Amino acid sequence: MNKAAMKRMTRRTEFYMFLVLIILIAVIGIVSKGSLFESTQIVTILRAMVVDGMFAMCCLVVMVSGGFDMSFPAIAALAYSLATTICLNQGWCQTSPIAGFALSIVFGAILGMFNGWIISNFKLNTMLVTLGTQTFFTGVSMGLLQLREITSTLPVALKKFGLSSLFEVTNSAGLKSTMTTMFIFLVILCAVTSFVLNKTMFGRALYAIGGNEVSAERAGYNVKKTKFILYTVVGAVSGFIGMIRVCMASQSIPKAMVNKEFTIIPAVILGGASIFGGEGSVFGTVTAIGIITLVNNSMLLVGIDSYWKDFFNGLIILIGVTVSALQAMRKKH
Amino acid sequence: MAEEYLLQMTGIHKRFGGVHALDDVSFRVRPGKVMCLAGENGCGKSTLVKIISGVYTKDEGEVVFEGNTISKITPAEATRLGIQVIYQDLSIFPNLTVRENLAINSEITAGRKLVNRKRWDETARAALDKVGCDIDLDAKMGDLNVASKQLVAICRAMLFNAKLIIMDEPTTALTKKEVDALFETVRQLRDSGIAIMFISHKTDEIFEISDDVCIMRSGKNVYTGETKNLTRKQFTYYLTGRDIEDDYFVPKNISPEPVLEVKNLTIDHRVKDVSFDLRKGEILGITGLLGSGRTELALALFGLEKPTAGQIVLNGKPIRIKSPIAAQKLRIGYVPEDRLTEGLCLAQPIADNIALSSLKRLSKAFGVLKRKDVIDEGWKWQKTFSIKTDDVTKNASTLSGGNQQKIVLAKWLANDLDVLILNGPTVGVDVGAKQDIHALVHELANQGLAVIIISDDLPEVVVNCSRVIVMKEGAIVGEMTGDGITENAIAEIIA
Amino acid sequence: MTKIKNFVRNNQYTSILVGLLIAVLALFSALKGSAFWRIDLWKGMTMQFPEYACIALGLMFVFISGHHDMSQVLLGNFGAILAVQYMAANVTEGMANGQVAGIIFIGIGIALAIAVVGGLINFLLVSYLNVPPVMATIAMQMVWKGLSTALTKGYAVKGVPALYTTVGHTYIGGFLAVPVVIFLVLLVIAIFLLKFTTFGEKLYMIGTNKKAAKFSGINVHGMLAATYLLSAIFATIGVLIMVSTMGSAKADYGISYTTRAILILVLAGCIPDGGQGKISNILLSIVTVQIIATGINLFANLNTYYSSLIWGGMLIVVLIMSTQVGNRAPKKAKKVKKAPQNAA
Repeated sequence: MNKAAMKRMTRRTEFYMFLVLIILIAVIGIVSKGSLFESTQIVTILRAMVVDGMFAMCCLVVMVSGGFDMSFPAIAALAYSLATTICLNQGWCQTSPIAGFALSIVFGAILGMFNGWIISNFKLNTMLVTLGTQTFFTGVSMGLLQLREITSTLPVALKKFGLSSLFEVTNSAGLKSTMTTMFIFLVILCAVTSFVLNKTMFGRALYAIGGNEVSAERAGYNVKKTKFILYTVVGAVSGFIGMIRVCMASQSIPKAMVNKEFTIIPAVILGGASIFGGEGSVFGTVTAIGIITLVNNSMLLVGIDSYWKDFFNGLIILIGVTVSALQAMRKKH
Repeated sequence: MAEEYLLQMTGIHKRFGGVHALDDVSFRVRPGKVMCLAGENGCGKSTLVKIISGVYTKDEGEVVFEGNTISKITPAEATRLGIQVIYQDLSIFPNLTVRENLAINSEITAGRKLVNRKRWDETARAALDKVGCDIDLDAKMGDLNVASKQLVAICRAMLFNAKLIIMDEPTTALTKKEVDALFETVRQLRDSGIAIMFISHKTDEIFEISDDVCIMRSGKNVYTGETKNLTRKQFTYYLTGRDIEDDYFVPKNISPEPVLEVKNLTIDHRVKDVSFDLRKGEILGITGLLGSGRTELALALFGLEKPTAGQIVLNGKPIRIKSPIAAQKLRIGYVPEDRLTEGLCLAQPIADNIALSSLKRLSKAFGVLKRKDVIDEGWKWQKTFSIKTDDVTKNASTLSGGNQQKIVLAKWLANDLDVLILNGPTVGVDVGAKQDIHALVHELANQGLAVIIISDDLPEVVVNCSRVIVMKEGAIVGEMTGDGITENAIAEIIA
Repeated sequence: MTKIKNFVRNNQYTSILVGLLIAVLALFSALKGSAFWRIDLWKGMTMQFPEYACIALGLMFVFISGHHDMSQVLLGNFGAILAVQYMAANVTEGMANGQVAGIIFIGIGIALAIAVVGGLINFLLVSYLNVPPVMATIAMQMVWKGLSTALTKGYAVKGVPALYTTVGHTYIGGFLAVPVVIFLVLLVIAIFLLKFTTFGEKLYMIGTNKKAAKFSGINVHGMLAATYLLSAIFATIGVLIMVSTMGSAKADYGISYTTRAILILVLAGCIPDGGQGKISNILLSIVTVQIIATGINLFANLNTYYSSLIWGGMLIVVLIMSTQVGNRAPKKAKKVKKAPQNAA
């Protein structure tokens, strides 16, 4: 590796995040006397990454394009609540979960389209728009449609799908833990996001728009259309992720996604995305989600009361955003 | 057979609502020549460019390109014809690599869906080869300097087999050396048969680079023809519509004691061991190229740069200027280089902008401030400086560049000052307003203000200063006074 | 008539808000009539709106300065938790009212002291470390919530002295609710600061162009410190009012007020881009939001989430309308300079 490339790498946030992750793993591994490396513990942490990691991908692509989406959890919640309610009433999803997923994706896409229509047609602060649509969607789901919690009556196929596993591991104490099938979707989504962002002209359009919207327009990109497609796809994927969560938790709770954006957005920024757009990568985002999930799930291992979870999350984010701000300041000089 | 003219525009009209932005404009561009489009701000230059590039459609008139009459130009059509515009902001992506910046436009035009790194690489290299320059393709665009960014933009334009390259005020942010390099590239392109349309309002540059010139004023072209048939005086006359007589500054009463003394001032390696003094009633010019340390020196006198060594003495007392707040208390005022980002709150009323530095004087105990006092202050300065507005509660953005600059001046003069530092006082200001501002500064100096003008506009320095210091690489390399101040004398030591 | 026309032309935003308020009032009058125009209903409203209105007023300063503060409510909650813990630990049964009042004041002092600390931390992060305001305050929001959760294990802290809740629920003279009085005091302070002092003048200028303000000799750091402090203190006062309604303090009480405060401000044309926002519009906006919240309750078959629906919808509509208002503004006619024409 030549010197210039080396220098470029060490200037990236992703590089430092990865170092932090390695150090954290080492420290927690030592403090917990190796129990972090128990197969069951690893499986638990990977399992906990599924939903947040997938949401982070949605958040990442929007942020790369210079947007700030507060509404994706509300879209997911409305999409899956509506989908499961319909499945329950129609008696669908008894043998196959496909109907549930299809419905949730379609609803998600429609809601995303709504976001996309507003954002692409009017030059507005995306944070304020999506705050508005978030509130609106929550109102639709719990006010207008009065969607209820579905727990024990959740259609069988959805439950079954959620409980299905790739493999089972047993730790030294004989405890068993299963690796959920849903993990595959996290891997696929990360791979697809990475491919789209780096290897397609659509992905480069997102970086271009995030870097300089006027230039992107002049270069020949249809910025309006790109944004519309982006928010529609993000909506559809959010619907899908929501359904994954329903299956994993074996219940559909309309309120479950409230304030989810406040944990996902900071994590994505921690991973090197910029709220001003044009920066961010799948690798960095996954690393940041990894750090946060690791910390959340190993509090007990290192003997810290789990009530401190929120505090440590906040502290990591705080340090993360401060360090990247200082880095940006240093670059200027 | 090659046409004599690449582009001919005849009788072009464009109206926006009731405003006749372009009124019967005609000109011709020859292949392999540089044509300058000159004019003051708001004369219709940019509207004309937008018509050529297809962003606007003309209301009337004829466009002939390579002998073919073009009825309707769209941006895509313009690109197909070989017309490329390099905008002032260069239309680059600071977050992407040089490779992507070079290749992305042609990839989009080709309708590609996927990224092929090898093809991008080839495209990018081909682009660099066309101009014959060498830039690291993996470098991030935002990390390059302005000159390199400009080269990338030119290379990118060349990819489209450009026959006509339009450059919109390309020299604004460049140092003299960089301008020379740019002109070298422009000549090289010209010699290879490409027509260049160069938009500028800087007299020197226009006479240096152009073969033909088209001067616009108030939406009309008032002169078209070869540059060599024009004298500078005529040029200024066409540009402004009036004869500008240089009104040299004659100091009337320079105080015997210096008001400000700078002794061995050093800031890192950007300003080295600079000493000078300044008296009441004189206008001291500090000139030098971009990066010569002139701006840093000024900022140090206003508390925005921290000297690493040396001393500043004001009225005989050694002082430390820690912040603009401290500078203001010491009766030092500073009119910044960049009016839009450092000088004005554009989206706020004219009166509030004027009153901003003198709020303490306008307010009563506990900072109680009457709105009427602010507005009265606005009207007072509107009259003093004859700022062209019918209402000082209108936003500053409604004014022209020259009048905006008057606001920034008024803001500082509303305070009782001993020293006024003007950094590029007439950048982007029309020639007419420029003269007004100069006359005003002369008057202030003769009333006993000590003025420092920092500028790289040599004619401005020569006309306005009673003493000039020339800086180079952070140090003072020359000083001249009175009749000894000439453009040639400064130019000799400046670079 | 022409007077009204002129007013509408000069105050397009205010006119939209007045129109909106009239529409809301008309709708509820038509649908509910006398049930809507009941005195106790309106008295009830005055007991409810001050808690979030105080938070919105605090946020207003930050928005005008071109910044953002997402940490307000959770910072207030942390202070309130400490305050209630202190009160619960020190007030014993049979204590004289005067003594209890003293303890309450110390409790309030603790909460306000925390607000000062929190406001200063936000200021330091944003001003000296250059962290983007949204990110800095979201991170601090998580930190404060985390501290509260760790301290209370996620439970509500009970034991608010009876005197505190009683006073909080008193109508002075039978109609003027104590929370309203507190809100009015803050409102007067806000109006005074914004309209009658150099602080307000400087705040709008900083929000429009921070660099130009700095170059004009304005103490930008000092102004921002004051702004974040005001935001934290006003919000904490709002949370302390909420404590008297709830009778307890908790890590995540009033979490939705963050959104509601933003909604109120954006509805009033006060956006975090800075330099904009009129107090009269913000008052109109608060009144409209509260009337909708109360009006919804009159319908037995509508739950409270209907107000989310309406608010969210309103926010989107107003945002879109605001872009249209800008577009319709008469274009500045270019001044055609008079100069002799001398074509060559």
